Amino acid sequence: MAKKTYDLLFKLLLIGDSGVGKTCILFRFSDDAFSTTFISTIGIDFKIKTVELRGKKIKLQIWDTAGQERFHTITTSYYRGAMGIMLVYDITNEKTFENIVKWLRNIDEHANEDVEKMILGNKSDMEEKRVVSTEKGEAIAREHGIRFMETSAKANINIDRAFSELAEAILDKTHGKEPQDAADRVTVNIPRERNSNRCC
Amino acid sequence: MSTNITETTIETKKDAEGKNKTKIYCTFCPSKMLNAGTASLINMEFALPYIHSKGEGKGNQSEAILNYWLVEDMYTFENIGVSHTVGNIKYLACADCERGPVGWHDLSSKKSYIALCRVKHE
Repeated sequence: MAKKTYDLLFKLLLIGDSGVGKTCILFRFSDDAFSTTFISTIGIDFKIKTVELRGKKIKLQIWDTAGQERFHTITTSYYRGAMGIMLVYDITNEKTFENIVKWLRNIDEHANEDVEKMILGNKSDMEEKRVVSTEKGEAIAREHGIRFMETSAKANINIDRAFSELAEAILDKTHGKEPQDAADRVTVNIPRERNSNRCC
Repeated sequence: MSTNITETTIETKKDAEGKNKTKIYCTFCPSKMLNAGTASLINMEFALPYIHSKGEGKGNQSEAILNYWLVEDMYTFENIGVSHTVGNIKYLACADCERGPVGWHDLSSKKSYIALCRVKHE
């Protein structure tokens, strides 16, 4: 068996109304409108991306709802095992912002209680068409105790930062918690690697 | 077939253990797919659909590819896009520009295969 080449694996979901640019958030180098390819016909199920945080190599498995949201069929199975959720709206479309509250309810119903959430106001490059102010975005995030960021997938603003921050928040949560520990078990005497012990 | 790489070219891409000597990148964008020494060269014939389906032309056509990098664990990839399931496989594409397929993933064995001729070695 090949040896494990990473430290942690986080499952992340992208959620929000259709047209807010969820799929574009996952295109890092899409400078051109490219022709139809075989892959765009069948569609992407998920992506694996690697980030390094605090010396740990973290694999992000990122799922896009890919149109399911249009039929309101985002099911429990989609949320299963999700550790982080990017909740996306479009700053040029009021309705997508209003629906954030609906999505938050949907997440509460279906996702794990301690899933880490982040709200993204996307298309921040389209300032002239903006209808949702940054303050409104910040307010709703504050109200629900969630992180918030404005992004532009098109201009590649804050995308990498958003993923790093979400991953970091999950890392904070899992830090000092051994993955195999049962939630109801009190663990004592487990020697743990402390940052302060690392000298080289 | 012209797209399949010659024996001598393949020799330069693998190390003494038959693993990829260099990092592997997308041919269309700067996205890195694999680190060096993480995949093993294998000889196997598998037909991959063409990347560009230009109109009706090469729409549903595939080309037989003979040389693949075998990746035991999907999470070995630095960056990769995984398609929806087709039959018993998933096609692999660039995670950042979504061009592909550059390979395929076998759902029953959980192994992944990257076509040497569809990626950049450097």
